[in-house]
Amino acid sequence: MSRLLGLVLAVSLLPSPLRSQDSLVVRLRRQADSLLGTWREAQLLADVADSLEQVRATAGSDTIAVGGLRIIVNPSPLPWREAAEHAWPVIDSLYGSAAEDLSRHPYIFRAVDPDSGVRRTVLHVGVELPWDLDVRATATLLLTTVNAPRFDAALADWLGSGLRPTLHPQSERAAVFVQLLTVPSEAVRACFLGDIAHCKDVLQLGDSIGLLERWYATPAEREALVASSFTDYFARGATAPSLQNCRQHRDDACTSLLQSLPPGSLPRPLAHAARILLVREALRAGGRDAYRRLVARPSAPIRERLASAAGMDIDSLVARWRNAALAARPKPLTLPWWAGFAAIGWTAFFGLCALRSSRWRL
Amino acid sequence: MIAMFRAVLYSEWKWSRLVVALGTVAAFAIPLVSLQGAARADRGALQAQELLRSVQSWGTLYPLLATALGLLMAIAAWAPDHRGRHIHALTLPLERWRYVLLRFGAGFVLLAAPIAAVLIGSSLAVLTATLPPGLQAYPIALAVRFAFAVLVAYAVFFAVSSGTARTAGIILGVIAAVILVQVVASIANIDLNLFGAAQTVLLLGPGPLAVFTGRWMLVDV
Repeated sequence: MSRLLGLVLAVSLLPSPLRSQDSLVVRLRRQADSLLGTWREAQLLADVADSLEQVRATAGSDTIAVGGLRIIVNPSPLPWREAAEHAWPVIDSLYGSAAEDLSRHPYIFRAVDPDSGVRRTVLHVGVELPWDLDVRATATLLLTTVNAPRFDAALADWLGSGLRPTLHPQSERAAVFVQLLTVPSEAVRACFLGDIAHCKDVLQLGDSIGLLERWYATPAEREALVASSFTDYFARGATAPSLQNCRQHRDDACTSLLQSLPPGSLPRPLAHAARILLVREALRAGGRDAYRRLVARPSAPIRERLASAAGMDIDSLVARWRNAALAARPKPLTLPWWAGFAAIGWTAFFGLCALRSSRWRL
Repeated sequence: MIAMFRAVLYSEWKWSRLVVALGTVAAFAIPLVSLQGAARADRGALQAQELLRSVQSWGTLYPLLATALGLLMAIAAWAPDHRGRHIHALTLPLERWRYVLLRFGAGFVLLAAPIAAVLIGSSLAVLTATLPPGLQAYPIALAVRFAFAVLVAYAVFFAVSSGTARTAGIILGVIAAVILVQVVASIANIDLNLFGAAQTVLLLGPGPLAVFTGRWMLVDV
């Protein structure tokens, strides 16, 4: 009888936690919905504030149009039109036909007196700059602040930076050359020596399985990576013993530490200049519509997007990238041709000074 | 004239042989030491960067050695004359400018030894090292640069050393005046950068000390 009573009691009590669990889920969902609603309202208000700020910032301004560039500026002595005429061909050569889309997102600039101490109204849109810049500096500013049209998050994430026209293409390539030569990674070294598969690995154009072993192939590289970049990160808490083991050349410890890093935080063997150069090569190879093709399918894998932009298979593109980097070997730090003459000239000059010394004019 | 040059060369060698010998040993050793470990068989990707760093660090010694050699040789060339109040030089049947030229030339001949030592040491270091692919060695360029630096340093200090105390005083006075003007300009908030201008004139472009600047790399990309 008591067993039957216990059974009835248990059956009657069983739904109560389920009910409370159900109510918790409903409550959390309600809170999430409320948060979403508040976020949407905040977004709406921010948009309104932005548009009002934009109206305030552009009041009394002129609009200068050169190609796809639309520049909204306050009256100033700055040579905007000449600067835009210098900048536009460079921008157009990078983005191609997509550069026309820039007209939808006008630049807003406010030129200010650099010597004035008078307080100005604070604007939250656009860029403030001194009005004593010359054409070159103003054009450089336009080139360095341009926002790539339809630049999606996946491409930005892979690239690690924005995609803007370069002011020093040769320096950019030379930097990639130096990276290929000096980065402490066997994979990068193999890429430098012509192994395209390794080049694709270090550029993260393949799958992401076993990335650690492919980027940092030897135990020494993994140990060096932990020692150089993550000593502080792993020195506390549960990872401290593993760090000690890693320092004692235990590769399993180093590997497990590096594998425990959050996704996407493993340092790339090649810095972002290498990837930017790859995109530039793809755009150069693909013609005027290359950029449009590059940003056409944001959900596609990067290698497919690059191949589509370049109009060639990814192996050929990577080989082209490697050749471009290798062709940019920096000039060795030997003396320029005139330095020898200068040194001999100065030697002769000081020698003559010695000959004409007053000590001898007795 | 050749006999005179031999006599001056011999006397200068006697006065400066220790400087020349030590300088030659140092000039031979620096390139070899800077590539220490480069011939290791277990070289991996990690070592290329380390090797460049090491070469760059040791590279700072070349201009220092060139300056020291120029200074010590110039001092050695004139010290006995200064001690003897130039009486010996004035008793010689020789115009003064010829005497100075012989001294100047003798110093150059003696400085050929450390310059050759840099060339031989660099070449030997490069031949015995196993450089990572892509890195290149520049032993001749380094030796040529060292030669120019030694020549300029020797000429500068030779000119200063051959002068009188009055000349040295004038030079020091000019330097002190530049410093004073710069300090006063800074206090008075005047936009005047004499140090920057002096740096540009001396160290950049075809300036007299330009050959000493930059990275002295035996091995580079």
